Amino acid sequence: MEKLRRVVQVGFLAFFVILFLIARYPYSGKMEADLFLRFSPLLPLFHFIQDLSLSWVLWPALVILVATPFLGRFFCGWICPLGTTIDAASKIVKSPSNRVSGKWEKLRFLKFALLVACILLAMFSVHVWGYLDPLSIFNRALTVVFYPLGTLFVNQTLLASTKVPFLETPAFYVYDLFKASVMPEMQAHPQQFFWIALFIGAILGAEKLSRRFWCRNVCPAGAWLGFLAQFRMFERIVGEACPICNKCQTECKMNAIPTGDVKHTSKVECIDCFNCGAVCPPKINAITYRWRWKPYHTPVDFTRRQLIRTTAGGAIALGMLSVGLKNRDAKDRQVRPPGALPEDQFADKCIRCQECVRICASNGGCLQPDGIQTTVLDLWLPVAVMREGYCEYNCNLCGQVCPTDAIMPITLEQKQHTPIGLAHFDKNHCIPYAQNSDCIVCEEHCPTPDKAIKFESKEVRLRDGNTMMVKYPFVLRELCIGCGICETKCPLPGQSAVFVTTENQRRAGVPLLQPQDQPASPYG
Amino acid sequence: MNRRNFLLSTGAGIVGGALFTRGVDPLFAAPPPPQAVWVENGEPAQLLAAALKEMGGITRFISRGDVVVVKPNMGWDRAPQFAANTNPDLIAAVIHECFNAGAKTVKVFDRTCNNPLRCYTNSQIEEKARAAGAEVTQIRENRFVDKAINGEVVKEWSVYKDYLEADKVINVPIAKHHSLSRVTLGMKNLMGVLGGNRGDIHNEFNKKIVDIDRTILPSLTIIDAYRILTANGPVGGNLAHVKQARTLIMSPCIVCADYLALDLFGLKVEDVGVVSEALKRGLNKFDVKSLNVKRVRLS
Repeated sequence: MEKLRRVVQVGFLAFFVILFLIARYPYSGKMEADLFLRFSPLLPLFHFIQDLSLSWVLWPALVILVATPFLGRFFCGWICPLGTTIDAASKIVKSPSNRVSGKWEKLRFLKFALLVACILLAMFSVHVWGYLDPLSIFNRALTVVFYPLGTLFVNQTLLASTKVPFLETPAFYVYDLFKASVMPEMQAHPQQFFWIALFIGAILGAEKLSRRFWCRNVCPAGAWLGFLAQFRMFERIVGEACPICNKCQTECKMNAIPTGDVKHTSKVECIDCFNCGAVCPPKINAITYRWRWKPYHTPVDFTRRQLIRTTAGGAIALGMLSVGLKNRDAKDRQVRPPGALPEDQFADKCIRCQECVRICASNGGCLQPDGIQTTVLDLWLPVAVMREGYCEYNCNLCGQVCPTDAIMPITLEQKQHTPIGLAHFDKNHCIPYAQNSDCIVCEEHCPTPDKAIKFESKEVRLRDGNTMMVKYPFVLRELCIGCGICETKCPLPGQSAVFVTTENQRRAGVPLLQPQDQPASPYG
Repeated sequence: MNRRNFLLSTGAGIVGGALFTRGVDPLFAAPPPPQAVWVENGEPAQLLAAALKEMGGITRFISRGDVVVVKPNMGWDRAPQFAANTNPDLIAAVIHECFNAGAKTVKVFDRTCNNPLRCYTNSQIEEKARAAGAEVTQIRENRFVDKAINGEVVKEWSVYKDYLEADKVINVPIAKHHSLSRVTLGMKNLMGVLGGNRGDIHNEFNKKIVDIDRTILPSLTIIDAYRILTANGPVGGNLAHVKQARTLIMSPCIVCADYLALDLFGLKVEDVGVVSEALKRGLNKFDVKSLNVKRVRLS
């Protein structure tokens, strides 16, 4: 069983990584790249709190939730890609046995506290659980940290080897292979790299304290599944032959076997890894696993007092998250992907998994994990950073892979007619206005069938007395869809002289408008 | 040897030498090939075949064992019917011709304006050029080399290494409207092999283009005017702006090809700064006033 579990773990991890890799242009959608994000057991719970309904698209998670009361936290032990990554990290940092790490047992309540706090906040429509969702964390780490680091390393190594004369041909051959199979797009340089790397680094680094530190003590998905598994029917049976060597107890990944009571298992903590059976000395072989129709119950490690404290803490967090200073200044630069729900709903639905950032045609250019701009919860929402990359006119992939439909899947036709913002000129920097010299690179790249950036030719008198015609660009609000290619391509070295703001944006949910229906003013 | 004999023998030598090089009877020799060809009313491959026939065959430009770069315009994420990129069938036909002439390899690349993967795919050039046997590769950022330009304005610029190392270059632009330069043709198409911040070329555009192009002239320029984009260029996006001109212009002189293509848009030299600048600076191989153009209309 323990060997089978390892194979399944690696299989699911490989499957999830493959789904991650296919999330790029050209994306057929035949295999839904966001499928693995919909394995998250937290999704149905919080979507139910939000909408009081369940969607069939969450079927992988629903299957897991239905099976958990019978089988226990098998998701954590067999499927969760974060769990598998943590297991790998534990091999590297050499986690201590439960003899040493047992002392952290007192932190177990934390995961229940976090789950309760997340539910409490969600009931007041503040959704922070996405930050802690294991699938979301895994995809976020993959998109922002592991993949860009890996590609950078491979790229640079291969390109450096091409400089060595006799290596040039083979290095370029491998490079082409790598570009064709793994990384056809440009190198991504995501912002927030440091903080997201710190986040995943802390989770993996905690393996130095105990095995599965995150899963034992912090993960709200683990808490939710543990809560459901209290009465699980698939039990570990310890036979009479057991000499109580305590090996299963000290080697248990989750410290789920109580010290001094090896015959029982905490069903809330056990993740069905079957390590206990594997470490039981072969001659004795006292451990078997069996269905029992009258299972025993193990309680959740969360006292009433802790519940009250958590509730109070949740209320304080709610206040802090809601009252905090909201500076409107940065609001106009928070351009969201095409098809995004209205900002409040968007922030509620988004689980910060970065799948849209991953698939964005600009690859680590346009869509980026946002920083804290106007409120704390802006953190890691996707934001379009147009100076680094623009929204490709013929691309609507971000909406197709959003697991929670925070970005609605809109058609290309709708996308091309739905402004996500509006371009503005900074005439103090724009070359024609500031230097009386031709440029209009912005106009050249403007992709709308009738260009949203037009220009006017005016005669200017030069210092030597001669005159010259110069083309001065301007934006037509009714044509601009805010794709931002003008901002990306502006030839100025630093800040662009043309930039996109959220003005005139149309969000999904409110009926998507055709261009002729657009009101001339954002206030109309 | 006295003076008379010297003059006689020198004269005879010159006449004999002339006869030897020109063939025995200069009267029956083929007329020199035209300096430019204008073919219209045909499909891309037919237009190319007719033009090359008039030009005296591809072997005039491509030799056995050559490494050839065919430089299309595939800078935009647009399908061929939008006339933002060079016709993919024409590119495939050019590649076939190169291989017929014994070219060793044919390379196709372009530094695109939109997402490179999307441009290569949706222009259909990647697929059709590969099928024709060419090496179609994405631009590699580490393969740009600084080249001394020493022009009036531009002193140096980075140029794609594969372009510089090629034995022959065939420049295959599409004739398009362009807001800054009025039209974009052969000379502007060479921007696709330049590195650096190309937006910087856009002021004093004419001078800078002529400066750079002077150092990287192609062996042959074939202007694709099968479909031309008449407005909203260079990206286009509106089929109403696409005109079926079904024309192809070919010349070993990039400036002469561009000069002829102005007719497609009803423009004069003085309307298009980059062509007039090139003529002023003598970038043209042939005198455009007395250009020997062969015009063919296919039936």
